[in-house]
Amino acid sequence: MFMNLDVEAYDREYSDRELARRILSYFRYQRLRVVTIILSTVLLGLLSASVPILVSRGVQGLADRADDTRMALLVVLVLAAWLLIWLSNWVRRRSISRAIGDTVLEMRRDAFAAAVGQDLSFYDEFASGRVVSRITSDTQDFGQTVTLVADLLSQFLQLIVLTVVLLTISPQLTFVLLLWAPIVIGMALLWRKWSRQVTRQGNRAMAEVNATIFETIAGISVAKNFRREAAVYHEFDAVNRQSYAINLRRGLVLSAVFPALSILVGAGIALVVYLGAAAVLAGVLVLGTWYLFIQSVDAFFFPLINLSSFWSQVQAGLAAVERVFALIDSEPSVLQLASEPVGRLHGEIRFEGVDFRYDDDGDPVLQGFDLTVEPGETLALVGHTGAGKSSIVRLVSRSYEFQGGRILVDGRDIRTMDLREYSRRLGVVPQAPFLFSGTVAENIRYARPELSDAAIEEVARRIGDGEWLDAMPEGLSTDVGERGSRLSMGERQLVALVRVLVQRPAIFILDEATASIDPFTEAQIQEALDLILSESTSIVIAHRLSTVRAADRIIVLQSGRITEQGTHDELIAARGNYADLYETYFRHQSPDYHVPA
Amino acid sequence: MTVAEFTADNRPSTNRTSVRRWVLSHVMRHWWLVPIVLVGAFGNAALAGAVPVLVGRAFEAMDRAQPDMAGVRTAALLILLSQVLRAALQLARNFGSELIGQRLERDARDELYASLLGKSMTFHTLQPVGDTMARATNDVREINLMLNPGINLVIGSANFLIIPVLFAARYDPLLVVPPLFFIVSYAWALRRYLRTLSPITQRARRAFGDMNARLAESIDGIEVVKSAAQEEAEVGRFTRLAREYRDAFVAQGDQEARFLPLLLLGLTISFGFALSLLLFGRGRLSVGDVVAYMGLLQLFMFPTWVSLFAYSQVSSGMAGAERILELIQRQTELDENRKGHSARIRGEIVFQHVDFSYVEGRRVLRDVSFTLAPGRTLALVGQTGTGKTTIARLINRTYDVDSGVVLIDGVDVRDWQLESLRRQVSIIEQDLFLFSRTVAENIAFGCPDATRDEIERAAREAQAHDFILAMPEGYQTVIGERGVTLSGGQRQRLAIARALLTEPRILILDDATSAIDSATEDQIQRAIARASAGRTTVLITHRLSQIRWADLIVVLRGGRVAASGTHDELMETSAPYRRIFARLGADEDRSEVS
Repeated sequence: MFMNLDVEAYDREYSDRELARRILSYFRYQRLRVVTIILSTVLLGLLSASVPILVSRGVQGLADRADDTRMALLVVLVLAAWLLIWLSNWVRRRSISRAIGDTVLEMRRDAFAAAVGQDLSFYDEFASGRVVSRITSDTQDFGQTVTLVADLLSQFLQLIVLTVVLLTISPQLTFVLLLWAPIVIGMALLWRKWSRQVTRQGNRAMAEVNATIFETIAGISVAKNFRREAAVYHEFDAVNRQSYAINLRRGLVLSAVFPALSILVGAGIALVVYLGAAAVLAGVLVLGTWYLFIQSVDAFFFPLINLSSFWSQVQAGLAAVERVFALIDSEPSVLQLASEPVGRLHGEIRFEGVDFRYDDDGDPVLQGFDLTVEPGETLALVGHTGAGKSSIVRLVSRSYEFQGGRILVDGRDIRTMDLREYSRRLGVVPQAPFLFSGTVAENIRYARPELSDAAIEEVARRIGDGEWLDAMPEGLSTDVGERGSRLSMGERQLVALVRVLVQRPAIFILDEATASIDPFTEAQIQEALDLILSESTSIVIAHRLSTVRAADRIIVLQSGRITEQGTHDELIAARGNYADLYETYFRHQSPDYHVPA
Repeated sequence: MTVAEFTADNRPSTNRTSVRRWVLSHVMRHWWLVPIVLVGAFGNAALAGAVPVLVGRAFEAMDRAQPDMAGVRTAALLILLSQVLRAALQLARNFGSELIGQRLERDARDELYASLLGKSMTFHTLQPVGDTMARATNDVREINLMLNPGINLVIGSANFLIIPVLFAARYDPLLVVPPLFFIVSYAWALRRYLRTLSPITQRARRAFGDMNARLAESIDGIEVVKSAAQEEAEVGRFTRLAREYRDAFVAQGDQEARFLPLLLLGLTISFGFALSLLLFGRGRLSVGDVVAYMGLLQLFMFPTWVSLFAYSQVSSGMAGAERILELIQRQTELDENRKGHSARIRGEIVFQHVDFSYVEGRRVLRDVSFTLAPGRTLALVGQTGTGKTTIARLINRTYDVDSGVVLIDGVDVRDWQLESLRRQVSIIEQDLFLFSRTVAENIAFGCPDATRDEIERAAREAQAHDFILAMPEGYQTVIGERGVTLSGGQRQRLAIARALLTEPRILILDDATSAIDSATEDQIQRAIARASAGRTTVLITHRLSQIRWADLIVVLRGGRVAASGTHDELMETSAPYRRIFARLGADEDRSEVS
């Protein structure tokens, strides 16, 4: 139904009826407010139409030399109409902003709850930025659309009332006035098309300027190291001037809109003045109604101009709300068969004939896969990219649904356990450790908010005598910055590991980072790792030589199959697949590595 | 004149003593547009006022025993004519201010950009890129919008306020009272309205930002949220922030609902209506006069509605200008030192009791001393944040020391000519930056005149030639275009090639790249080995193998030199140094390397 660039696989089309029902359901607890909005909107429209009518009566009264009481009454009525306009507008705006505020809030909460309820496969498929924009921007757009509709409704009501009144006075002259409408709308549409075009060009030129500035600022040290400021400046100067020229053209087009409208409105008034006078002469109009016709030219134009932008905006608003609903309605792919309490886990993991593929029509990643991990064992997975290491880990953490076989933890099918409780028994550290903005302590206690500072400190100090804490400006109270940006990569890994350490999971899953860390921090990371590994059943996607050497068992994977298993020394001696992998991925990590000639 | 590392030629100077003066001095460069805007604005308003006056005349012509149709025709024609003329003046006003606005945007951006290029690295390190970008894009745009529609509408609506007063006087002097009442009360109410609204708007904007930031964070960290089973807590947190925004939104709506100028307009029109009827009753006005007067009062509609956003546009434009000027004005410590020492560097580096801090009171380096002989290799080791990168940057005078001295070939770096020093000292940064241009242009960035042969030779030395040839268009491949991305190892070798082409005498390699596979590591290390041959080299590295074979190792802890010497010496004297090697079991592994 709606043309859109950012369509996702979970988007769906809602029938107009369904969409209306869904939107209205958000207003269901606000009946009184909705009634207030409708009543005040109608009132505002009627009152706005009444002012020119009252004034025109006044003009007629002057022409008729009417008595003072009648004139005084008119003055009072005009004043009352204005007061009521202000008042009804006040009531209306207040109710609207409350109704929209509450509706958007509720929609946001629903959308966010749906988003966090999704499994990780969802986020591997869909960019998180777009999910975020559905939750905030699309709901915002929807709110603005509702405001727009409400505003336009009262303007149109005013227009309709005036039209009816004018029709009863003189159908012919009203027809002349209405004849103007298609011209105004046509012009507004034409202009919109035109200005859209120049705006697009202008934005493109602006984007180029911004990209140039961004590149300069991000790469300023390179420019400075090589003393190339002048050349960089001249490049900027060229795009800056170009953007100026293009945006000036846009400005010219936009500057001409209102002058063009002035001419149209002026011509309309001139026409109505002349034809109206002729009608007065012919006895069709009197001075008062003539005045009303002239007044109506203005009142006719502005709703019409708004109308021309109305549809596309309402459509965009509906498309936005449709995207929000699609997010709310999207179904997770991981489905539990039952939700039994998990209890304490020993951490035995068994894969029995597991079949797994990422897409229904994709190639199988695992086929009839068998593997048993003993409680407390440290298992290292090695293999080339695409061998199935991450898949194994993702199935254990229940981020993806598998298609065949069973996965048992402590002998129980993981599909029958309470998912939330199961997740809590799991400690996961992804390759790029993620920290939330806040302090180091807040991040460490993320999974267990009840922990005291002292308890956290105690755990943190078990690593390298807490030297890493002393290296940070304010120890546990250090602000980690957005996504941990104020900490070094190594410190972020340490915090992520300690976070898991306090969680005391039965099963620990680590996708080892490949980033290089300074040797001092690296040594402390190893210490933290040793602590966790000794306490839990661990599955590690190994990238570090020290980790494979410390593992109880190494599993060598190739295209979803286990080709070798054993300890580091056994496998090196076997001179098989693992020895090749060592030569490819681990050789250079040895401190005795020499640069080949 | 401020000190700068770079100054663009032929730039007109502006008055930077205050924001208003700065904006004004920019506007005055196009002073001839100002009278066009002012005349356009006045003419536009006056001719808008002509409509009710002419309509009034038409009524006068009809409100007679013998209606004067010719008079009506003249009035109608004059209305049409006046509106055509008005459109021309309106266009002059709009386009004039558009022209000033666009030029201001162009010039302010240019001034800001040139000043950014002239700032020292201290400035750029402390100044977040996102913030600078926001000023160079949004704030500059705000200055443009401040002129048009902002000031354009302010001037426009000011004229619409004056015209009814001027025109009403010709019907009856008393009639100027309602419009004067409106002007005074409107100015007062508007001021009050904007004052109360602006903190609420800010609050709403901030609440929206907080909500968005937390949301983005939760979604990006969804894996952590799920594995900690914190979904409900996150929903609660988000809902709280979303509710804060909702409250601010409602508060803003309440303020807007209470918009007083609309009420004042109603009062003025009612008052004017009553007054004109009264004067009519006394015979001081005709029907046509009353009609004209009521039309004139309606001109106030325009300022009433426009004021809703024109003034806030101006104030956010001024705020933008302030942020830009603040950035331009910020002092930079280094200058080009054009008359300084200039010679070919041999390559001796000496640090004597060097102290340094980026921000006053937070010392990064304390009493750092060491001597590196020409042609030798120094490895700086230490935890992240202990000042290794800072030491490197003191060598090419990216920053100046607080106390102590850095000597190159026995000459204080502050006495070197900046150009001569930086040309011979090449830094390969940790954060490898490549421009979105061709590979060849990136390599030749420091030597734009290099021939193709020289570029290729540098690439070969840096072990980059083979992978460059494997790219879609070889040396002409544009980086970042059509999905052309490079791995960390490839970027690093390009950066080495870029440095080698300038034939530096001192090479500083701030190396945080990690190769995932050993073959790439072989190439990177081979490139570094070639690059360091025959020149003084400073390595900041995490690679134990490189640390081990350096001529001098300096171990930093908390900004101090904890130990220095060769690998064998440090294994004897430094406990922490020994510990990193002990954990990795250097000796056990020896058998596996063949």
